[in-house]
Formats: sequence, structure tokens, C-alpha cells
Amino acid sequence: MTALIELSGVTKTLKGQQEPRTILSGVDLSVHAGESVAVLGRSGSGKSTLLSLIGLFDRPDGGQYLLNGKDITKLRERRAAALRSAEFGFVFQRFFLLKHLTAAQNVAMALVNGQGWLPRRHRKARVMAALEQVGIAHLAKHRPARLSGGEQQRVAVARALVRQPKVLLADEPTGALDTETGNLVIEVLHATTEMGCGLVLVTHDWDHARRMGRVVRLSDGVLHPEDVEVGV
Amino acid sequence: MRRFSGRLRSALIIGIQGIRARKTRTLLSIVSLFLGVLAVVVVQAGAEAANKAALANIELMMGKDGTVQMWVPDEKHALSLTLDTLKGRTDAVGTLGTSATIGEPGVNPVNPGGGPFDQPGEYGPMGGGQFYCDTRGYCKEVPQQQQAEQPPVGAAIELGLTGFTGDIRPFRPYKLTSGKWLDFSGPPSLAPRIVVNKVAAKGFARYQIPAEMRIRGAIANPTPHIIGVVDDGQDRPMAYVRADELTNWVPTTTAGTFGGMEILRTQEATDVEQILKRRLLADGLTNDQFSSMVIQSKKEIEGQLAMFRLIFLGIAGLVLLIGVAGILNVGLATVGERVEEFALRRAVGTPRSLLAGIVLAETLLTGLFTAAAAIGVASLCLKIVSRVLAGRAAFLADMEFPWQAGVAGILAGLIAGLLGGLIPAIRAARIPIATVMRA
Ligand SMILES: Nc1ncnc2c1ncn2[C@@H]1O[C@H](COP(=O)(O)OP(=O)(O)OP(=O)(O)O)[C@@H](O)[C@H]1O
Ligand SMILES: [Mg+2]
Repeated sequence: MTALIELSGVTKTLKGQQEPRTILSGVDLSVHAGESVAVLGRSGSGKSTLLSLIGLFDRPDGGQYLLNGKDITKLRERRAAALRSAEFGFVFQRFFLLKHLTAAQNVAMALVNGQGWLPRRHRKARVMAALEQVGIAHLAKHRPARLSGGEQQRVAVARALVRQPKVLLADEPTGALDTETGNLVIEVLHATTEMGCGLVLVTHDWDHARRMGRVVRLSDGVLHPEDVEVGV
Repeated sequence: MRRFSGRLRSALIIGIQGIRARKTRTLLSIVSLFLGVLAVVVVQAGAEAANKAALANIELMMGKDGTVQMWVPDEKHALSLTLDTLKGRTDAVGTLGTSATIGEPGVNPVNPGGGPFDQPGEYGPMGGGQFYCDTRGYCKEVPQQQQAEQPPVGAAIELGLTGFTGDIRPFRPYKLTSGKWLDFSGPPSLAPRIVVNKVAAKGFARYQIPAEMRIRGAIANPTPHIIGVVDDGQDRPMAYVRADELTNWVPTTTAGTFGGMEILRTQEATDVEQILKRRLLADGLTNDQFSSMVIQSKKEIEGQLAMFRLIFLGIAGLVLLIGVAGILNVGLATVGERVEEFALRRAVGTPRSLLAGIVLAETLLTGLFTAAAAIGVASLCLKIVSRVLAGRAAFLADMEFPWQAGVAGILAGLIAGLLGGLIPAIRAARIPIATVMRA
């Protein structure tokens, strides 16, 4: 079976204010459908940079990136935008909800992005299903200001799920939440793998990492398998 | 096609959400742009009005551009020689001007001096003699003998009377509004046939004038026969007659009646001028007593109006530029505030072009709103002004809001929106997605 995501020897150098710095110096990673991977690493080790390459925010300098077996190492921005919309869902540490929109409108934002068109009725059904999936359908008409942090992050997860992506990328999604709420969000994310979604979770939290199918550590620009008991 | 409509609808939804979330900003942009767009609309409307007022009748009054105009003084036998030279020519027409009073015998005309009826002047003392002033400020001494008799004002009108040696209309395109134009073929009639202009026709209808004509310098008072009405662009009453019928009653030898003769000819008819000059020189006139020139009035006035329009549009453009700076300022501030929103939108797959499009759509909509407001205000003002001033300036009375001004306003709004939105749009499209990870 071909992997959803297949990175081999991926490198990335970022040009900072001073001399260019090599952040990733040869990353190999494969994620299959229904598989979950936790990425650990020191602050500044390049975890977010790695996610931004997987999520097609940016392109690698070297190596190869196969998505569903297709080489997308060098992709034009137009096509990348279409793939981000169709294949990926993103959750970040901060929630990035637009404060002038309701929860439902915030989720619908991923559907109103110029990539294809769904009539209003279908949009609404999809949005409600996604909110249902994260357990906050009853808050659909609330604006972010009236939601708790955990509820806001679940709206953000619903926004990531509303297009039924093949891969979920989460960059420290619990960083701004207390332990209990964080656990709830991780549960919601993990549940998507049972429906065939691939999940890459960047986290600092050992407990959250252990619940993933596999744990890797990023250091010196390379991924090392982490020897832990997983799936607890 | 489907992709396009999806983008358009997405842009519409996002744009309207954006405007609704920032109503105050949109309003501020509109305010900053309003004066500039209004200035463009007003300049265009003013220029159209000026064109209408200045150009509408210029060909009727002066003559078509390219016509050669020549002047012959009333000296020696000049008038009769000229009439003789022009006999039977259609490419050169002479005009003889005098004035006449038509109506009840022995009364003063209702419009002494031949002024327009809608702007009646008044009799009054001024300096030593008796003067009559019309509303345009033209004053004229009332003849002594008239003063002495002080005949009552009665059912008579005074009008300008012009005799033509041929059909003038190739040079001054009078428009026939009813009846017939003068017939220059055949021998002159003893009962002069006249064509009056619209102003005179109105006077005849209003004052129910019985038809007897007193012509200045005439040897008898003929009974005129009105055969038609023309629009000649004049605002005072006029009557037109065949020159040979006019000279039946007013011989060219009556000194001082006509003052001279104006000749209009085509540029090709140079022979008329040569023959005429030779005969007049032989009669004892000197070369400097007659002159000719090519009429260019329309072109000249058009050129001047176009220049004025450009100057004022330039000023309006500067005011508009200030408005553009306002939109630009608001737009940049808005994009700065929305960095995270745009990065997020890109992350969920919104193409850059659509983001730029949304920002542009918002400023273009703002420009359109402004144009609508400016056009509304301008046309309302025009209505009020034309109602208040209609009595003073005739051309304002039937003044409609010119569509050119509306088009100019919409264009100005769109251009300002484009100029003000372009840089913010480019900035919006360039926001890196990674912003959402480093925030
Ligand atoms: N645009 C950029 N230009 C140059 N260097 C950058 C840029 N963005 C990030 N970096 C650097 O790249 C390195 C990796 O950053 P990255 O955000 O991927 O780390 P991270 O592992 O996600 O850290 P954290 O756990 O704190 O989020 C950092 O040292 C950072 O300073
Ligand atoms: Mg990070």
C-alpha cells in the first residue's frame, strides 16, 4: 500500500537576518492512512518548519516528497493551494477564529475558499456534521468571544475536518489549553484516524505523544525514532 | 466556468463579511473619497452644461466653420454693386440688416429696441434723454420725436429684419419649425413674404398683432405675408425676407439704413470676392474698407471649453488623489490587521489571487458606493439650482443631469478604488502562510 505521505531526504534552509541556517538536513518520514505520528523536539528544532513542508505552505530545498505516490516536491502555488484545500486539515496552537464570524461561519470558512462551490444547504450540513464530530454543535451560532478556550480549539478542529481531509496536521494544538481540555482535543484528533485519516501531531507533551501510533524526535535536522511504549 | 463562479461567489461572501465587520472603516473611506468623486462629477456636469449653452446655437448665429465672412461698408454705390454681383449666386449670400415694427399703427412696440419678450425692459429717464434698458443691460435712447409724442405702448412688436440675396441655410443651418422657407426663384413680390423666428412667432401669438409692417427708412408700409417659422438660435425676435423684396421698400440709396452688408461664401467661391473687389475699387472704395475672414467659432470655442474642462478635471483629479491616499491608508491598515486572517485563509486553500481580489473588491465597492453618493448629491443640487435660477438663465431651465457626468463619477470611483486597493491587495497576496505557525 502506498503511503499517504512519503518524505525522503528532505532538506530546508531558512535565510534569516544573518547567514542562512539549515533547519532540516535530511528528513525521512512516511505516514499511512489511519496512522498517527507524534513529533517531539526541542524548541527551535524545526518541528513547525517540517509541518509547513508537509502541509505545502512551503517547498523543500532538496529531497523528495510523494503524496499518495505522486511527486509533489516542486509544486506551483496554485496547485498547492488546491491540495491544501482538498487533502489537508490544520490545527495550530492558537485558534485563529475570526471574531466577527459565528462558530459555524468560522468552520464554513474552509468551504468558502474559492476551491469549488457548495450550495448553502450543503455547506450548512457539512458544517453541522463537523461541529457534531467535535461535540459542540449546540454552540454553532456563538461568536468566539463567548466560547471557552477548549470550545474555540474544537471549532478550529471542526474547521480542519469540514472538508474531510486525508491528513491532519496539528502543531501543538494543546499548548494553550489546560490538561483536561487538552486531553479532550487530542481524543477528538485521534478519533479521526479510525476513519482513515493520517495524523501528524507536534507536541511537547509526553502523555499526548504516547497515545499516537508512533513517536519520532527531531534533532539536528533529522528524525529519530523514539523508543517509547506507544498506544497507551 | 464553474471554477470562476465558485471564486466569484466566495469572493462576494468574504468581501461582504469583511465590509460588514468594518462598517466604520468603509464609511471613512467613502468620506475621504467623496469630495474627489464629487469634484469630477461636478466638473463634467458643468462642462456639459457649458458646451450645451455655448455650442448649441453657434453655427446658427455665426455660421458653420469654414465659411468665409466678408464685410462691405455702406459707401458710395457699394450696396447696389454688391447686390448686383451676388445676383443668382448660391455659393455666396449677402445679408442686409435693419429693424421693423409690425402691428397696430401709431403705437410704441411692446419690446422697444427689439429685445426678447420674456425679458421685458423698462422705459426710464437716464442722463438727459429718455432711455430704454433691457435686462441684458443694453440701453438705447428713445428717439426724440417718439418722446415728444409719447404714443402709448400697443399691439406692435419690434424685430430685427434681415434680407438675404439667396438661401443662407448652407452657411447658417436655420431649422424650419413650421410653414415654408423663403423662395429665392422667380421675380420679387410686392407684398413681401417673411419668415420669422420662434421668438417672433411667440410674440405674434401672445400679442395678437395685426399685420402692418413699419420698416426703418421705408418709403411705404407694406403688409407682410408670414410664410414660415424657423429656429435661428437668436433670443430676440427676427424676421427674414428676400433682399430684393426688402429693397423694394427700402432702397439701398437710403443712407444709413443698413450700415453695410455681410457676405457669407464658400471657400471655393473666391471669384465672387475678386469681381466684387474690382467693382468696388472702381467705384472709389479703398482696399482697407472691406475685409474677409474664415469663420472658426465652433472650433475655437470647443478648444477653449476643452481646455477649461481639462484644467478643472486636473484640479478634481488632485482632490481625488487625496481621497485615494485615504483609501490606501485605510486599506493598508486593514490588511495589517488582517495578516493572520489572510495567512489562515491561504492555509485552508484560498488562492492568492482570490485574496487580492477580495481586497480589491472591497475598495472597488467602496469606490462605487462613493460614486453613487456623489452622483446622487450632484443631481439633487442641479435640480435645486436649476429650479432657483431657471428664471435668470434659460439654458438652466431644461437642464438634465448629463449622463457623461454619471459615467465620469463611476469611472472616478472605480479608478480611485483600484489605485487605493492595488497595493493593499498585493500585500495581502504576499502574506506568508507560516505566519500562523509563528504567531
Ligand atoms: N522565516 C524564518 N527565517 C529564518 N529562520 C527562521 C524562520 N522561521 C523560523 N526560523 C528559525 O528556524 C528554526 C526552527 O523554527 P521552528 O518554528 O520550525 O521551530 P519549532 O521546532 O517549531 O519550535 P517551537 O517548538 O518553539 O515551536 C528556529 O531556530 C527559528 O528561529
Ligand atoms: Mg513550532
